[in-house]
Amino acid sequence: MAYIEFQNVVKRFGDNTVLDHISASINKGELVTLLGPSGCGKSTLLRCLAGLEQVTEGKIFLDGREITNAPASQRCIGMVFQQYSLFPNMSVEQNIAFGLKMQKKSKDEIAKLVKNAMELVELDGKEKEYPGSLSGGQQQRVALARAIVTQPKVLLLDEPLSAIDAKLRKSLQGRIREIHKELGLTTIFVTHDQDEAMVMSDVIQLFYAGHIEQSGTPVSIYTAPATNFAASFIGSYNQVDSEAFQRMTGMETMPDSTVVIRPETITISRDLPAADDCLTLRGRVIDSLPRGNVLRYSVQVEDTVFRVDALFRSFHIFENGEEIYLSIPRHDCLSLSNERGA
Amino acid sequence: MNKKANIFPRVFLVLVGIYLLLPFGMTLIYSLFVEWTDVLPHGFTLRNYADLFSDAEFWACIGRTLVLCAVSVMLTIFILLLAMYVVIIVDRRLAKFMQLVCMIPYALQGVILSIGIISIYSGTGTILSNRMLMLFGAYTILVLPYIYQGIRNSINAIDVNTLLQAAEMLGCGKFRAYVQVVIPNIFSGILISALLAESIVFGDFVLANNIAGNNYQNIQVFLNRRMFRSSGLASAIVVIIFAVVFIITGLVLKLQGKEREEK
Repeated sequence: MAYIEFQNVVKRFGDNTVLDHISASINKGELVTLLGPSGCGKSTLLRCLAGLEQVTEGKIFLDGREITNAPASQRCIGMVFQQYSLFPNMSVEQNIAFGLKMQKKSKDEIAKLVKNAMELVELDGKEKEYPGSLSGGQQQRVALARAIVTQPKVLLLDEPLSAIDAKLRKSLQGRIREIHKELGLTTIFVTHDQDEAMVMSDVIQLFYAGHIEQSGTPVSIYTAPATNFAASFIGSYNQVDSEAFQRMTGMETMPDSTVVIRPETITISRDLPAADDCLTLRGRVIDSLPRGNVLRYSVQVEDTVFRVDALFRSFHIFENGEEIYLSIPRHDCLSLSNERGA
Repeated sequence: MNKKANIFPRVFLVLVGIYLLLPFGMTLIYSLFVEWTDVLPHGFTLRNYADLFSDAEFWACIGRTLVLCAVSVMLTIFILLLAMYVVIIVDRRLAKFMQLVCMIPYALQGVILSIGIISIYSGTGTILSNRMLMLFGAYTILVLPYIYQGIRNSINAIDVNTLLQAAEMLGCGKFRAYVQVVIPNIFSGILISALLAESIVFGDFVLANNIAGNNYQNIQVFLNRRMFRSSGLASAIVVIIFAVVFIITGLVLKLQGKEREEK
């Protein structure tokens, strides 16, 4: 049995089924991300694991023990909430010490553990301050220190970085990852941001409409999406109807399917490419958007618009309206059945 | 232009302050003079205060009133905090029912409330037929809406559920989390509503006179009895009532301010 097991977990709110027979396993020490759009059930699953919601059906196991109906206070799980939820009447060190007091640790031990936790999240010197006087990023780090200081079996992070600006978010992503490596704590992270999930996770569980659409490492999900939803959500894939694709390229495709192609696998050029293992299409640039070090072109080929990512090099820019060639490696054209996924 | 704009609110504030303090000032002046039959009073004296401070009955009445205030207000706070716990943890839908119950005393006039209580409990032969206990109970009902509003507004102002859940995740039971996390965070609201309730109890005459009368005389009943003896003495009593309420309020607010400063 895995460290955490969800067995056929169903959660309904009235007639609304939020979790539809979820079965999943999480190994000890992994950093798993529950990724998906808003309302897909990822936070609900996290709250079921935390004990803040009761499951309607199914079982949850943690470290070989069934915890389906155990009270939240007895599950040995730490949690960081989206809005931090620090206790406003307590100072930073009192907030961090709260869980240790509940564990009835001695005063000396509490002081030592609080100090260590504050060092870990780089908050030294803020012991006596109150949450109201801290910035969002500092509050988030206090919440993180408060959750990990009790040495829980699992750390749950419910969209903890969603209210923080982009620069600080990146820095905290790195810090959380480092802390996870340092402590080896099994961590479940909820986010709707695919980039964040790619950066942070050992494993991604991709959610869609109350079920797990696909799970795997970030690389495997990114390079081999199993469904149309996975392709559209995780990597801005070009999605072309199989019949239209066959007409354009002559390549045999699976009936009633969609061909998905990552934008960065397509090469754009003025001259006819010569590679044998590539499909070649003739099109016209209709738009280009700079995205950091990448330039994203929109290229019209018959009735289909392809998104193409090319490295942003000032001496190699294609103008709108320019006739160009697209070269697509055959092995990067994935055919996905239309029967499953959106 | 800016200066003028800044002055206007200050002038307005001073005028409102004078308007509110005028009755108190006049009462104070009246209590310090022998006679005030002309434009200006004459015959400065501290005799009214000397008489009052040497009257043991006066101090007993002040003491009884303070006990009435403290017990009834604390009892109401205790009952309401427990009831709010049930509303938050067990079923939020109970909040509407609770609001209805807590608002009923608003609609009851003192005379109706006191007669109702007397007719229900007097002569029952139980402990509740004791006039003193009846008075404590009546005040607990009287201050219910004020304290309820204060507690409810404070609870609505914080994210109670998430705070409770955060405490639970740290190994704290629900009730303990409510006591250790929620109540300290709504303490300011409780304190302010308690002060309001305390001043209402301090100023009540109808309930005290109808229910307890001479059995458990509070300061307002004492004032009523002395009023017919000397108007100067009655004014001195009013000034002292003002002063006591003012001192209690000031002390509590100072304590609260100190606590905030520490944070």
